[in-house]
Amino acid sequence: MGKGRPFLEVFTCALNEDHRFPILEILVFLCALSTFVLGGLAAVSNFTTGEAFAHNLVSSSTWPLIILVIIPILKNIAYGLGSDIEKGITQTLFSYPLKRGYILTAKLLSALGIPLLLFLGISIFGLFLLFPDIILANPGTVFLTYAAQLSPVLLAAGLLLILALRLKRGVLALITGLGLCIVLFLIFDALVNSLAYTTGSNWSLKIYAVITPNLALQEYYLGTLLGFTHQIWVPSFSEVLLYLLAGYLLVAVVFIIGYVYFKRGLRI
Amino acid sequence: MRRITLLGRTGTVILMVGLAIVLVSLPPPASPSSSGHRGSILPEEYEIEHSGVYRPQTGFQISVESTDNVRVYLLGVSPLEFDNWKTQVRAAYPDLDHMLGDFFVVPLIFVREAYPDLDDPQIEDIMDIMWNVSVLEKGLQTHPEIVLWQSPPSSTLSHEFLPADVLYIMFIIANPSPDRVEVETKTKDLTVLAPKERVVLPAVLLISIGIALAIPWLILRKVKKSTL
Repeated sequence: MGKGRPFLEVFTCALNEDHRFPILEILVFLCALSTFVLGGLAAVSNFTTGEAFAHNLVSSSTWPLIILVIIPILKNIAYGLGSDIEKGITQTLFSYPLKRGYILTAKLLSALGIPLLLFLGISIFGLFLLFPDIILANPGTVFLTYAAQLSPVLLAAGLLLILALRLKRGVLALITGLGLCIVLFLIFDALVNSLAYTTGSNWSLKIYAVITPNLALQEYYLGTLLGFTHQIWVPSFSEVLLYLLAGYLLVAVVFIIGYVYFKRGLRI
Repeated sequence: MRRITLLGRTGTVILMVGLAIVLVSLPPPASPSSSGHRGSILPEEYEIEHSGVYRPQTGFQISVESTDNVRVYLLGVSPLEFDNWKTQVRAAYPDLDHMLGDFFVVPLIFVREAYPDLDDPQIEDIMDIMWNVSVLEKGLQTHPEIVLWQSPPSSTLSHEFLPADVLYIMFIIANPSPDRVEVETKTKDLTVLAPKERVVLPAVLLISIGIALAIPWLILRKVKKSTL
């Protein structure tokens, strides 16, 4: 027997467990609704043109969707994986003729891949339906904005994976993961902005741009409209690309740590 | 069974996207601002009452009341073509650069095409001919593609317009009669989240495909539940 069948077996089990009817459908509905509503509102309240408009459109219509992606990631990775270890389901999966790495890949494909695929599909479809000319005229900007928006989501997913593997408890991992997301997306954001404002230095913005590259992209495209931060930091396009690259490198490192720990360090 | 489940879940997801689109297209256009204007149009002349860049989500409603029959035109030029025309006008009338706001670009293009031999014109020469109905009609004959809508001769009319694309739009009133006409216009900006003409067909398609894919799975699910 090859690896394909057991892999599909694990993947199907994870799919059944992660995306129960009608939770996925409700999230998809909210995702589509917010894309259309926020895309429409962003176009109506337009104050930019060309690339900046395309960036603003994608950026403002996707940020609430990120919350809708974070919810299934929290539920599937932090709670789901933590509970699986706690209840002994992962031990059962280890008896499959499949390497540990493949088991984790199947789990992550279901927990992270499906929500991301749906998020990207719905968002791109919605924006293309409403603004085909703008999306087609600025494919590079649209791609960069999506990449920048997804980087912190992937980072959070990687950190939640490590957390779930370390804590080995579903509820505990969920609560800690929720706290981590609040710190990463809300508290850090406020802290960085107030630090930049009070010190007048851009180093806090630069560090935070590695975690959320969309900050650098926003400064590049919409800088003057963002207020005081533009007075202390105007990144060039190549700098923006560097922040994006650094962000994805960080994501890769976190996932590699998670994989290595799952393969070698996880004692259950 | 697995295949039916996979197709069924895909169907319910597609159905949800379709329903979200329907929901977004339901609210009637909102009207954030409005403006009015009362004035007179000289015999056989025309006026631009309103102009600006509009997107598929933004449009306007116009209503016109006049003492005699007038013609109303809605003209739309793509931003690219508009920039091209601006450059052409600038090259043709370098001395009129100071009055080259967006407002005058289309009338000046019409003048240039109607009077190609007008060399080094003074502003007075241009103003004398720029607002003639004959110049407008000639311009529209040359560029019929920019006419988005035109009314029959009428003294009272109302029209709602939402562009299908990003366009520089002009709302023009022409007085073809030999007498001065008093005109009162009202323009109301309109805003929609999703233009109906763009979203209705995809929504219908998505809902139909979604239902077709989901029904076998939903039936199977019900049967399975009732047998348990």
